[in-house]
Amino acid sequence: MTVANISMAQNGTATTTKTTFSRETTVSINIQANQAIVWSLLTNASDFPRWNSTIVSIDGNIALGEKIQLKSTLDTTRTFKLKVKSFEKESSLSWGDGKGDRTYTITPNGTGGVTFTMTEKIGGLMFPMYAKYIPSFDESFEQFAADLKKEAEIINQTK
Amino acid sequence: MQTTQLTNEFLQHKGQLKSFLLRLTASVEDAEDIMQDTYIKAAEKIESFRAESSLKTWIFTIAANLAKDNLRAKRRWTEDVTDQGKAAALTDKNFFAEAMQIRMTSPQGAFEIKEHITFCFTCIAKSLPLEQQICILLKEVYEFKVNEITEIVNTTEAMVKYYLHTGRAKMIQIFEGRCALINKEGICHQCTELNGIFNPQQNHQEELNKIEMAKQAHNPDKEHLFDLRMQIVQGIDPFESPSAELQLHHYAHNSRVMENFLKKNEV
Repeated sequence: MTVANISMAQNGTATTTKTTFSRETTVSINIQANQAIVWSLLTNASDFPRWNSTIVSIDGNIALGEKIQLKSTLDTTRTFKLKVKSFEKESSLSWGDGKGDRTYTITPNGTGGVTFTMTEKIGGLMFPMYAKYIPSFDESFEQFAADLKKEAEIINQTK
Repeated sequence: MQTTQLTNEFLQHKGQLKSFLLRLTASVEDAEDIMQDTYIKAAEKIESFRAESSLKTWIFTIAANLAKDNLRAKRRWTEDVTDQGKAAALTDKNFFAEAMQIRMTSPQGAFEIKEHITFCFTCIAKSLPLEQQICILLKEVYEFKVNEITEIVNTTEAMVKYYLHTGRAKMIQIFEGRCALINKEGICHQCTELNGIFNPQQNHQEELNKIEMAKQAHNPDKEHLFDLRMQIVQGIDPFESPSAELQLHHYAHNSRVMENFLKKNEV
């Protein structure tokens, strides 16, 4: 990723880099909220559709080794069966299947808030065959990050 | 601090504590047992009380910890508990006979719509995760501050804020989908239906006009409508209200219904 791309990504603008055998989309955004709040929002499966306009539903338990079923607004007819592959409390989380992985990281940014980053890398030897059928994630990633920021900051301001 | 001082303060908060425990357990017996255990534990530990919080917060901390271990408090109900309660009541020939007996003979047997709204809130709040339910009750009903709730539930301020926000959002969503008082499409009319049974002479519309939340049903601000609902709940002591015995009878009924349902479905 270039320096310009990193800068865009931190503003909640998604960037995508493509190679012959893979595609990687990243978004990053500063959130003025406690790490635990952001983490709780990302790990409470049934609550996702309430605050996240890109998710139709997530069934299952978001915990290490667990399998979840996710429906996204990108394609509401498909249910993605994913496995939670890494789970570091309040700092990082990833889930995926044979075609790709999505990683979430939450890093304290020194101003009492956090920097949230979400990256999805899809690919493999067969990737060139189906790449054109996979829609762009950029808009959806930006919406995800914006929804998370909005919800976490509202919660953080609870009196 | 002296035990006498503890006793005096305990008596001062006894009503709130008992109703808090009833709302967690939905059981009069368990609420009374936990309250008694709370006093005993507080008396045993009174020398360790350092006045870093108010005594009321400290007492509620002990009670909340005991409640977290209580089977009935831990048991989570379903969002449609009032539908299930109604269906069971309609097939139970004793339910209305008992309820009518209370209605006719008890000094606390009146039926008031606002009391049923409180009953309904308590039942549906038992569908929230326990931590969320405790936080919502402490903040919205008993008016504890976030920092006091942090101490009572022994977690971080961030998590209390998370529980409060998500619990509140969930309750608003449930009532918006169910409660015919605030949504014309709402599927639950139980409070007005029961008013028709217990108070056949009353015009339920006139009764609803006495309830601010129902009067403001058209208000698109769902947060505000929830606040009005919470004002109703705050104003009612489930043990001392004019409808207490009738409502406690309903709690016992819904408890049985939920226990049977959960047992059957092994939840």
